[in-house]
Amino acid sequence: MIRDLKRVRNIGISAHIDSGKTTLTERILFYTDKIHQINEVRGKDGVGAVMDSMELERERGITIASAATHCEWNNHDVNIIDTPGHVDFTVEVERSLRVLDGVVLILCSVSGVQSQSITVDQQMRRYEVPCIAFVNKCDRSGANPVKVSTQLKEKLGHNSVMMQLPIGLEDKHEGIIDLVTMKAYYFEGDNGENMVEKEIPQDLLEDAQNAREEMLDEASLFSEELTDALLEEIEITTEMIMAAVRTGTISRQMTPVFLGSAYKNKAVQPLLNAVLNYLPSPLDIENVAIDMDNNEETVALESVFDKPSVALAFKLEDGQYGQLTYIRVYQGCINKGDTLINSRDGKKLKAGRLIRMHSSQMEEVDAIPAGHIGAMFGVDCASGDTFVSPQINYSMISMHIMEPVISLSIVPKDNKAQINMSKALNRFTKEDPTFKTYVDHETGDTIIQGMGELHLEVYVERMKREYQAEVETGKPRVAYRETITRKAPFSYTHKKQTGGSGQFGRVIGFIEPCEEEFEFVNKVTGGKIPTQFISSCEKGFLACMAKGPNLEFPVTGIKVTLQDGGYHAVDSSEMAFQSAARGGFLEGYAKAKPVIMEPIMKVVIETPNEFQGSCMGLINQRRGIIQGSQEEGVMSVVESQVPLSEMFGFSTVLRSGTQGKAQFTMEFSSYKQVPMSVAEEISKKKADEKAAKNK
Amino acid sequence: MLKKDLILKSPVEKALGLENITKGQFGAVLSRAGVGKTSFLVQIALTQLLADQKILHVSLDDHMDKINLRYDEAYTNLVDYIGYVDPQKAVRLWDDISPNKVGISYTESTFNTDKIRDYLKSFKKADLALPAIMVVDGLNFDEDLSSTLEELKALNEEFSIFIWLSMKSHREEALSKDGFPVQLEAHKDLFEKAVFLQPVEDKIEALILKDGDKTDQKYKLDPATMMLVE
Repeated sequence: MIRDLKRVRNIGISAHIDSGKTTLTERILFYTDKIHQINEVRGKDGVGAVMDSMELERERGITIASAATHCEWNNHDVNIIDTPGHVDFTVEVERSLRVLDGVVLILCSVSGVQSQSITVDQQMRRYEVPCIAFVNKCDRSGANPVKVSTQLKEKLGHNSVMMQLPIGLEDKHEGIIDLVTMKAYYFEGDNGENMVEKEIPQDLLEDAQNAREEMLDEASLFSEELTDALLEEIEITTEMIMAAVRTGTISRQMTPVFLGSAYKNKAVQPLLNAVLNYLPSPLDIENVAIDMDNNEETVALESVFDKPSVALAFKLEDGQYGQLTYIRVYQGCINKGDTLINSRDGKKLKAGRLIRMHSSQMEEVDAIPAGHIGAMFGVDCASGDTFVSPQINYSMISMHIMEPVISLSIVPKDNKAQINMSKALNRFTKEDPTFKTYVDHETGDTIIQGMGELHLEVYVERMKREYQAEVETGKPRVAYRETITRKAPFSYTHKKQTGGSGQFGRVIGFIEPCEEEFEFVNKVTGGKIPTQFISSCEKGFLACMAKGPNLEFPVTGIKVTLQDGGYHAVDSSEMAFQSAARGGFLEGYAKAKPVIMEPIMKVVIETPNEFQGSCMGLINQRRGIIQGSQEEGVMSVVESQVPLSEMFGFSTVLRSGTQGKAQFTMEFSSYKQVPMSVAEEISKKKADEKAAKNK
Repeated sequence: MLKKDLILKSPVEKALGLENITKGQFGAVLSRAGVGKTSFLVQIALTQLLADQKILHVSLDDHMDKINLRYDEAYTNLVDYIGYVDPQKAVRLWDDISPNKVGISYTESTFNTDKIRDYLKSFKKADLALPAIMVVDGLNFDEDLSSTLEELKALNEEFSIFIWLSMKSHREEALSKDGFPVQLEAHKDLFEKAVFLQPVEDKIEALILKDGDKTDQKYKLDPATMMLVE
């Protein structure tokens, strides 16, 4: 591994589904000599792209798990993580962004900024990751990279700047004009591997000069030297421009835009050059950790090899040789045999075999230094854990993890499937914190939870293929919640005094709605409730939040204020006050106008224009609220908010209503109160289930 | 009640009367470019939202996001105009009523009443209340729009949805003997209501060209907020 970190790039490739990420990565690996032939993602030769190592990925033509790989270009080490574009796999993207230094955002030259591009952009903002944009598929009919650059500005608020112009578009797409060098580049050879520099065609020279002026205007904001050169009309060097654009990009105030066609082998090499020129090295990014021994003070981590090591585990995989833990080292160097501490649980571990990944193939290495990404074998940990050298006690901020919104019951077909299913679930839940599983104690059903129908479908399919565990799935269940809508008092006495030691506790206060999930405020004075029992009261209140009194859905958004109470010198205890608190909560809850909340999803449909009206109609029929519809060329985008409970089977309905031409994305938006009629239906269903169970 | 207060203070209520906004077939808001046709149409639609009605806003000029922004601004202007309002109450009210607004953006070449028909049909199919009005902003009345107006008329008849349109007039054109811009003159029999916005000194004057007993009445509006100037 290259030790000069200025020559290292850790990048992700992110985009909406079918923008061409995996194809682009395949081309990158080819041109950097890692693989010897190009396999199309949905190719006729039956071999999928190298990056899509899971069989399911290759079959569906989508990328599911993020695969990490590295390559070398112009004496630089480039570590690439190819990430899924579908919203159901957002946790993979979040994980990758946490550990990468820069991102290539791929956009389709026809569809432009799409719904998942917006989600990915939000994630990039959260982790402050600089990015460059690549407008792909310039060979497609309707390609318009300039329009896409404008969309980047308007829809995502980027300061997007064209760094290239196309030489021809659609079936006439031949090459690109580099506005920095002011040369034209063509890509010759069977796979476009020979980049040939020529003069800019005469008919495109004026456009190129105008575009270059615009680019220089933007870039000069980040360089005094460039500004002076422009004002004084002296020679502007390539290095001057690149330095300015690099500054703008790394500070996230500028997004340079490149273009080409990965599928047609056009302009991938200039993109690689742009990754080196404009995306940050590990030295350009400040990484911080929390010092657990020093009041959780923030400490800056240094990408030097002789300091104590700090690394973050961002992906786990359970393979045939044991657990593989992907790590990013932020400080120090993890050598084979080193002793490390997991700062989450304080456990010691030894760094066994260390490897560098290339899609599904491994290369053993002796060390993973700061600034690099690699993997360790045989380490028992969870995704998000921090590993440190024994002499320090740092923890990195963990990743943002979303709660699942949909669950499904699964029943193994036979005994063998049961055993294999357990193994599968054990592995999947360790790898993916947004995928959860539990056994419903009342029904005995195994329940799996996730971020969408596709998310769960993929795991059910993987159970079958990788673990030979065939399961039957029940109807998906929505994760309802309960909450209250008004303030209500409680005054409850828990008393059991019938001779011998008894129980006594009184609680007086009120509950009210709040923005947080749960808040407890103690306003008891004068020792009315002894201090040692206050935490028991809080425990009792909290216990009631797990299952709502009415319909047993988790409760959220409640603030409990304890104002007064009473105790008995002998009979009061922690248990008594917990019971009193539970009683008080139930009493207040009943008066607080409780309601049921359901998850509302943001649903974005992209459809050919002729189906716009009927797509809006489909949303209407599902208690959806259309926020608007926008025509973009031959396609319309319909944005809406729809209850999750109405979305099951939507993909089939949409497909049949639009001749298979429309697609949609769905992600969690918020929880909202259900309408009265729906609340009654839910209550009735719960009552029926209870009655059936009691029979 | 906040909703009622907002409606009463709306310039549209004063100029047209709430109950009149949805009676008949077509209404027009005319002016030169940039005077405030869209803003006034948005205020018209806003009164319907405040009356718990659904509205459909079709734009041939604005992106869907911009349409939504205009509504946010119009609501804020109206709330500020009535004086002190509890901000949380105002936000809650907007959260309640804004989902009843749907914005659709087309270009001139892709605008097509069949798509709107499909959409409106789905309301009937789902047994949902139809929008009370449809705003169509950006049709070019310098061209022959007879067939488009016929199609819109058919929509009005089929779904009982009143249609408000914007009409761009031009400074240099003379008005008809009735004082109508030529764009309205060509179709005046179709329109029950028409409001002509003109800059007068530093205000905007809303002249009621057609509206039963309110015809020829004039109202002064603040150009920044479209609120009535007392």
